[in-house]
Amino acid sequence: MLENQHPSNPKNWHQWSLEQMVTPKMIGILLLIIVLLGLSARNTEMDKAAYKTGEAVLAVIGLSQSTVLDGGASFVKQAFPFTIESRRSTNRIVDFDRDNLPLFSHIEVVEEQRYDALNETYTAEIKEYLVTPFGYLWKVLVKMWETIEMGFWGTLLSVMISIPLAIFSAKNYSPNKFTYLGARFILSFHRAMPELIVALFFVLMYGFGPIAGIFALAMHTSGVLGKFFADEIENAPKGPQDALLSSGANKVQVLRYAVLPQVFPSYVGYVQYILERNIRTATVLGMVGAGGIGMELKGRWDMFAYSHVATILLVILTTVMLLEYISQKIRAKSM
Amino acid sequence: MLEFKSTSVVYGDGTKAVDNISLTIKEGEFCVLLGPSGAGKSTLMGMLNGLVTPTSGEVALDGVVMTKQTKRTLQQQISMIHQQLHLVPRLSVLHNVLSGKLFAVPTIKSLFKLFDNKDQRRACMLLQEVDLEEKHLYRRASALSGGQQQRVAIARAFMAEPKVVLADEPVASLDPTVSRQVLNSLKLASHAHNATVLCSLHQIEYAIEFADRIIAMRKGQVVFNGVPSELDDAALKAIYGDEYRAATAEERAASTQDKTLFVPSKLTSAVA
Repeated sequence: MLENQHPSNPKNWHQWSLEQMVTPKMIGILLLIIVLLGLSARNTEMDKAAYKTGEAVLAVIGLSQSTVLDGGASFVKQAFPFTIESRRSTNRIVDFDRDNLPLFSHIEVVEEQRYDALNETYTAEIKEYLVTPFGYLWKVLVKMWETIEMGFWGTLLSVMISIPLAIFSAKNYSPNKFTYLGARFILSFHRAMPELIVALFFVLMYGFGPIAGIFALAMHTSGVLGKFFADEIENAPKGPQDALLSSGANKVQVLRYAVLPQVFPSYVGYVQYILERNIRTATVLGMVGAGGIGMELKGRWDMFAYSHVATILLVILTTVMLLEYISQKIRAKSM
Repeated sequence: MLEFKSTSVVYGDGTKAVDNISLTIKEGEFCVLLGPSGAGKSTLMGMLNGLVTPTSGEVALDGVVMTKQTKRTLQQQISMIHQQLHLVPRLSVLHNVLSGKLFAVPTIKSLFKLFDNKDQRRACMLLQEVDLEEKHLYRRASALSGGQQQRVAIARAFMAEPKVVLADEPVASLDPTVSRQVLNSLKLASHAHNATVLCSLHQIEYAIEFADRIIAMRKGQVVFNGVPSELDDAALKAIYGDEYRAATAEERAASTQDKTLFVPSKLTSAVA
C-alpha cells in the first residue's frame, strides 16, 4: 500500500552512481584561466608591479634602492607638520591695514636667505607675513562644507529627476510602451555616464564651480535611483493594488495609496545611501574643476604643497568616517 | 434586488461552472453561499463584479442587466471583501477605509490625502460599527490583529455605499471566536446599510448561525435555497455528497487534533 503511494528507487545504495569531482574538462578550464590571467597581467604591467613592490620591500631592510619608496617618502617628509595656519606675505595684500588686522591674526617678521643667481651669492631679506592660526584649516572646512552641500543638492535634484522617470519606467504604471522604453533608456544613459566625465562637460557649459559638480552628481545618481525606484514599484504587493482598482480608484490614486506607502521605507534607504555616496564622490569632482574640496586639493597637489594636501586629506577622512557613522546610526534607528 | 435569470457560464474547456441558475435575492439580505470547492461559488460572485460574463441568461441588479452597465457603475455599486484582506499594511486604518471611495475624489486632492469631512466622518462611523475604537484610527493596518484587519476591510467595502457586497471566504484564516465577531460585524453592517451581502463560507455552523438565507451549490447548480432552519441532513448530503461523508470520517480519525473542523461536531454525530 505504502509503496504504491511512494514509488521507491529500484537501485540499491551500492549501485547509486557517484559523480567524479575532478575531471579533465575542469583541469582544462583551469589552465585556460591561468593563461588568460598571464596575458592580461602582461597588458596591465602586473609583472612590473610585482618587481617594483619586491624592490620596495628589499629597500625597507636596506638591500636595494626603490623609486616606490622615494615617491612615498617625498610626500611623507613634507606632509608633516600639517599646515593649519594661513600665511600670506603682507606686500602681496592689497590695501593692507597694519593697525586693523583681521581677527586672531598677527604679523610675523622673518629673515630669509635669498639666492642671487647672477652673483652666485646669498642675500638676507626681511619679509613680513600675516599669519592667521587655524586660518587654512578653516578654509578647508569651509570647502568641505561646500562639498557636503554639493552632495545634498545633487541628491535632491537626483530624487526629483528619478521619481517621474521611475514611474514611467515601471512596466505596470507606464502609460504606454514608448514612455516605458524612453524612460528606461534615459535612466540607463544617466547610469552609464560616470560623474567625472559628465562633470567635464558641465564645467565647459556652466564654468568652474559647484554647479557643474551638482549637475554631474544629479545626472549619474538619478539613473541609479530611478532603476531602484522602478524595480520597487514593479515588485510592490499586488493584492492591495487590485483591491483599490476594483473599487474604482484610478492608477494615480492606486500609486499614491497602495504603492507609495509600501515602497517608501526602501526609498528612504536608497536615498540615504545615495546621499552618503554623493558626498564622497563630490570630494573628487573638484579635480576637474567642478567645485568643492577637490579643487583645493588639486591646486595644492600641483604646487607640491604636500603639508596642505595632508590637511585636506585629514579633513576628508574625518568627514567621510563621521558621515558613515551618522548614517549607520540613522539606519539602526529606522530599522 | 438581485436576479439571476436562467444564467449559465461555460468555460473554454467545456466545464459548466454555473448551470442554468435562477435566483432572486432581496435587498439587504445577508446571504451565505455554501458548497464544496469547485461548486461554482466564485463564478457566481465573479458575474457580479464583472470578472465573468454569463454565456447565457442574464444577471440583473434592481432590474438593470449587469453586462449593460459601465465598469465604473459596477465598481461603485459592488464592493469586495477578499480572503487575503488586501489592506495596505503601511497605510493608516482611516485611509485604508477612505480608499474605498477614491473613485469619488479628484486625483489632485487625493494625492495630498485631502478627503471631505463628510467622508472622514462616514469612515469613523463605519469603523465604530465594526467595533474598532478611536485609538486605532491612525495606526498602520499592519499593527492590527487579523480579525481587526478583516473588520477594517468590511468598513472599506461599505465606504462606497454599495448595493451589493461580495465576501470571498472572509474568515478563512481566522480563529472561531474572531470569525464570529467578523461575521457578526458583516451581518450588522449589511442590515444597517441595506446592502445585499453574498458571503461564501466553508463552515456550515457559521452559515446556520448568521445567515438570513443560505444558498448552496453543487456542480454548478443550486441544490439548496432557504432559511438556515431548513438546512437538514438531507440537504447537507445533497450539497456535499460523498465528500461530506469523507470529511466526517477524516474528522473522526483526527479527533485528537484541536482545530476548526470542516463540519461541526453536532452535525457529524447526527449523520453518524
